[in-house]
Amino acid sequence: MLEFRHASFAFAGRRETVEVLRDVSFECRADEIVAVIGPSGCGKSTLLSLATGLRTPTSGEVLVEGRPVAGPSRALGMLFQHSTLLPWRSVQENVELGLEIRGERRAARRKRATALMRQYGLAGFERKFPHALSGGMQKRAALAQTLAMEPKILLLDEPFAALDAQTRLVIEDDVVKICRAGRRTMLLVTHDIAEAISMADRIVVLSKRPATVKEIFEIPFSRDARSVADVQAMPEFSAYFRRVWDTLDISVGAAAEAAA
Amino acid sequence: MRWNSHTVMVAAGRVVVLLVILGGAELGIRSGALSQLFFSSPTQIYQVFVTQLAQGTLAEAAGITVLETMLGLVAGSLLGMAIGLVLPQLRVFSRVFEPFLMVLNGIPVIVIAPLFVLWLGLGIFSKIGISVYIVFFAMFIPVYTASIRLERDYVNALRVMGANQRQIFWKVILPSALPSVYTGLKIGSGLALIGAVIGEFVASRAGLGHMILYASGTLDTPTLYLGIIILALFAAALSFLVDALGPVLVRWRFADEK
Repeated sequence: MLEFRHASFAFAGRRETVEVLRDVSFECRADEIVAVIGPSGCGKSTLLSLATGLRTPTSGEVLVEGRPVAGPSRALGMLFQHSTLLPWRSVQENVELGLEIRGERRAARRKRATALMRQYGLAGFERKFPHALSGGMQKRAALAQTLAMEPKILLLDEPFAALDAQTRLVIEDDVVKICRAGRRTMLLVTHDIAEAISMADRIVVLSKRPATVKEIFEIPFSRDARSVADVQAMPEFSAYFRRVWDTLDISVGAAAEAAA
Repeated sequence: MRWNSHTVMVAAGRVVVLLVILGGAELGIRSGALSQLFFSSPTQIYQVFVTQLAQGTLAEAAGITVLETMLGLVAGSLLGMAIGLVLPQLRVFSRVFEPFLMVLNGIPVIVIAPLFVLWLGLGIFSKIGISVYIVFFAMFIPVYTASIRLERDYVNALRVMGANQRQIFWKVILPSALPSVYTGLKIGSGLALIGAVIGEFVASRAGLGHMILYASGTLDTPTLYLGIIILALFAAALSFLVDALGPVLVRWRFADEK
């Protein structure tokens, strides 16, 4: 569905070329959830911008449904780290935004948005502006906006980082269920090991900059779990947590070394 | 607003202040304590008001100043908005023009006014020109600043949804500048009037500024006060009008917080 083939990305900095990604290769298969985890600032978000076509790899290629990415694709939907709900639009107008851009008729847009909002517990908030919603509800609205376009592949850029721990568990759960039920492929970028293990089928661990793929873990048990919290209660969970943490290797010593 | 003892006291206090000023002026002039050269009583001003209203001179003077101000405000705001929105999209142009605009903005309008009279004559066009000139900057600066600091995530989100440049302009760039447009209008509405009156002060044959200047030259103190009061009322009405545009331009900022 979504494949990175020897993708590298660099940009011209003030003095020298900054190499962000180096020869990154992995694949998200159909209806699979893949998490990408790595030290902060390693270029995880850049990886997603290569998939959306906002950036072009310096070398290598990114394939969506077997074709090289050339600009934004209808197959992809993205959930950003910060809220991208437009503050001047009501929740309903925000949910309809993507369909509006595609030029769909008003009645059809309204119908789909209303159904999605009901489904995600936003009924009664249609005419509110985003700032009147809680963080969790804003995420749901953003999710509804993305899903209204029915993307086959969902890209998530640390979308839950700003939520409180409990809201977060609930939304993570919702996203996993939505993804599984709709047989969607998902690529989740995160810095949270627990989130990666409890949501994903596979975890791609990136090194620090220039980011390369350090290791790919299969998480065999998450697909069968009833909820995200259930995964975290499994005995295997802590073993995987440890392995991912060790692979990440963000020790105090290494950080001090990097700072020196 | 709740009609409690606090709001009643504030309203009553305002009425008292107004009565003290009006009554004081009336008593001062009648008793001879205040010189008629420097002050006028409310009844004297009212008489001038009635006479001028009957002659049609007041309506003509006020009409001209109102016309200059409104045209200056509308044209200056539209120009400031258009350039403030477009310039940041053209990186090189914006860097080329920025210092020129900043220097132009720094020139006190009073010294620019004679130039406009020279170019556009003694009629209303020179006043509209001056008004447009200062309103332009009042609108341009906040809109330009807002456009430069545009939230990139919003633009990226729309790109990913497949939006083209035109859609991004209408759905993100323009609405995100609306709070600044509102700010620009608030500042600009006051400046539009200042621009028109400055023009009339520099050289004119009509308008409230001309009326005030003429009254001052002929020691016609009640007319001088009348002109000032009409200008003040117009300024207040204009600011009221602009405030009323807030819930239209930036309705999300005025929506309930719950």
